[in-house]
Amino acid sequence: MTVETIPVRHPVPAARFLGLAPVGVVARRLWRGALLWGGVFALMVWALVSQFAKEYPTAADRAQLVATMGADAGSQAIFGPAHHLDTVAGYTAYHVVGILGLVVAVWGLLAATRLLRGEEQAGRWELLLAGQTTRRRAAAGAIAGLGIGLLVLWTVTAAAAVAIGRGADPPFSARASLFMAIAAVAATAMFMAVGALCSQLAATRRHAAALAAGLFGAAYLLRAVAASGTSLRWLRWASPLGWVDELRPLTDSRPLALLPILGTTVVLATLAVVLAGRRDLGASLLPTSDTAAPRTRLLASPLGLAWRLGRGTALGWLAGLGAGGLILGLSTKTMQDVWANQSGGVFARLGGASGGATYLGLVFLIITLLVGMAAAGQVAATREEEAEGYLDHLLARPVARLSWLAGRLAVAVAVLAGAGVLTGLLTWVGATSTGADVRLTTVLAAGVNVIPAGIFVLGIGTLLHGLAPRLATPVAYGLVAWSFLVEIVGAALGASRWLLDTSLLHHLARAPAAPVRWDSAAILVAIGLVAAVIGAIAFARRDLKGA
Amino acid sequence: METATAIRVEGLSKRFGDLEALAPLDLQVEAGEVLGYLGPNGAGKTTTIRLLLGLLRPTSGRAEIFGLDAQRDTVAAHQRLAYVAGETSLWPSLTGMETLHLLGRVQGRVDGPYRGELIERFKLDPSKKVRSYSKGNRQKLGLIAGLVSRADLLLLDEPTSGLDPLMEREFRRCVAEAKAAGQTVFLSSHILSEVEALCDRVAILRGGHLVEVGTLADLRHLSALQVEATFTQPPPDLSVVPGVSDIEVDGNRVRLRVHGPVEPLLERLTAVGVTQLLSREPSLEELFLAQYGAEPTTRTQEVTPSDR
Repeated sequence: MTVETIPVRHPVPAARFLGLAPVGVVARRLWRGALLWGGVFALMVWALVSQFAKEYPTAADRAQLVATMGADAGSQAIFGPAHHLDTVAGYTAYHVVGILGLVVAVWGLLAATRLLRGEEQAGRWELLLAGQTTRRRAAAGAIAGLGIGLLVLWTVTAAAAVAIGRGADPPFSARASLFMAIAAVAATAMFMAVGALCSQLAATRRHAAALAAGLFGAAYLLRAVAASGTSLRWLRWASPLGWVDELRPLTDSRPLALLPILGTTVVLATLAVVLAGRRDLGASLLPTSDTAAPRTRLLASPLGLAWRLGRGTALGWLAGLGAGGLILGLSTKTMQDVWANQSGGVFARLGGASGGATYLGLVFLIITLLVGMAAAGQVAATREEEAEGYLDHLLARPVARLSWLAGRLAVAVAVLAGAGVLTGLLTWVGATSTGADVRLTTVLAAGVNVIPAGIFVLGIGTLLHGLAPRLATPVAYGLVAWSFLVEIVGAALGASRWLLDTSLLHHLARAPAAPVRWDSAAILVAIGLVAAVIGAIAFARRDLKGA
Repeated sequence: METATAIRVEGLSKRFGDLEALAPLDLQVEAGEVLGYLGPNGAGKTTTIRLLLGLLRPTSGRAEIFGLDAQRDTVAAHQRLAYVAGETSLWPSLTGMETLHLLGRVQGRVDGPYRGELIERFKLDPSKKVRSYSKGNRQKLGLIAGLVSRADLLLLDEPTSGLDPLMEREFRRCVAEAKAAGQTVFLSSHILSEVEALCDRVAILRGGHLVEVGTLADLRHLSALQVEATFTQPPPDLSVVPGVSDIEVDGNRVRLRVHGPVEPLLERLTAVGVTQLLSREPSLEELFLAQYGAEPTTRTQEVTPSDR
């Protein structure tokens, strides 16, 4: 099974080129994703530039935009600071760098851990290192490969920004557009380096990705807290994502803020290379034990196994979401006060919801996104059991396919439901502990409201798992990413009803800012269940398929 | 309901797109029999076993395990069999002991003392995590997990890949024990000495087609006998003797092959002065190479069914 994926397509005759093999291997596996996300950046720039004048034609409209979104401390906490929102430049930079830039950074860290630790774990590094190269050189090569992917991403973004920016009103200078492209990929560069470093620290791809994602989450929360109150603004310098915000492209570019970004990227990448040279192939720097006393309590059935295997990831998601809810909840009171002292459009626009509830609506939008990611992760883990051949050992024994799948889905649903309830509860704890005026039932309902999104993703993923198993994981993650982009960007641009309807998030009320729409939540759950049942039936009838 | 047939396969076939991985196959394995299932890489051995296990869905035909339909009564059929894969990939985060415990509980029956004995005999450290096992050790783990069930039917798919010769010998002992205990063994392999040493019957697969099936004696009977004769004078012309081919003359010595009955050759030889006569039965390896040697390599691509 590994033979077909030997990454060197053409055997390289001369030994001196073998050191370059990792560069090509990594770059070749990265360029499609880089092109895709470069395309998303391009589309986004085009949409923002072309729609801004249409959506906000008059000075009054733009003033209104600044008064609402620009002064909305809640969205600045969640999506980063906005500057000069009344100009097409500020509006574009805010969405491209502050929002999409972070989504792409998550892709970057996942890609880095997959291509470094994932490939090593799968034994494919052995083939590379059998050539005349050292571990250190191979790691440097792989990181250079990541750099090439990043360059592809930047080139596409920059080309689009320059071409489209010329037609903006007023036009962006070529230099400003190039700088915006740098700002757009800056977070990706840093978190690719974080991913490369975590790949040296952890022994498995999953651990490395979780570690890198945890660091990303911490940086995100720091940025959110920094934006939540004037007394804490200095904290933005503590978060790498805060540095990216400080670049302020298109409006008042600050190239100096590139220094910490560049420095961090170089230091982390160098550290990764040095550490790679100091460890054995397949080993990790964080202590892992190769032996363990048997713990067999759960290992009596496929269901027990599913829980045993998924427990670490599940607890990680619960802890991460719970902590995120608690920390973001803590700033609810500040948001409430900021709004209370403002006059203007916010209250009219949101139909009288309190500032705190509006802010929490955005918090739960992010939580819905993350729960969707957790659901996609469950789909990926289920597929992995089959792709890696582990499932053969169960299904060759007296285990029915449907009962195995049902066990996995039961664990997944339990994790998603637990995440929703726990996050709702802890967000309320955070909010009330600082004196914000929110009711437990309202926030808890907002937490429960995210569960249907997870079940929907799980259901669609299971459908694909039955019908086209190799597409299950990318489609599940793609559905979540697409929904988020359409919800954030599409809504800002007044996109067509039809386009907005393709976003899963659009069908859920933005609780607690708006009352939970239980009917559409129930429909999402029902569609998810039906999709899962069809997928399960298809799975029971098809061939098992390897990677 | 007891039946004396362990595996009954009727017209079982599998296509992956344009590729015919297994042409319609008819095969029967009696209970208590050890069948060697031979063929080069990509011949369809693994496909057959995965069809028997219900992991793949057949394009046509059906298979029964002890009278139970392999596709419909999968769970009941699996209660009577144990499977060992050729490339054992197990959950990396579990230890060897945890894996054995899990697979034993899922299987439903485990011979506990035998498990301890096999861990000793295969020199496996079960406290280590699967992640840190070598390929050979993972293979041992898969073997032990299969053998300790003492299932009525053992489906073994190249079970000794990655094992060293000592462990390979231990495996042969285990199969001999299983046979003595009345278990049926379906042994897919391309290690001919292994099959020759263990199997009652051999089935040979080529390009998805079953080309031979029979006891080793049957197969030898069908194939050529190698004869070497030394004469007191230059040898006579033997090419007219029925069944004789591949004649090589070297002074007073002759090397040749004979198919079918040997009487005509013996009559001809006794008529002249023969000082020495050597004959040798073909080894399984020669039988195997005779089957495949002449074959032009049309199937250049190796196909494992799980890739499709």
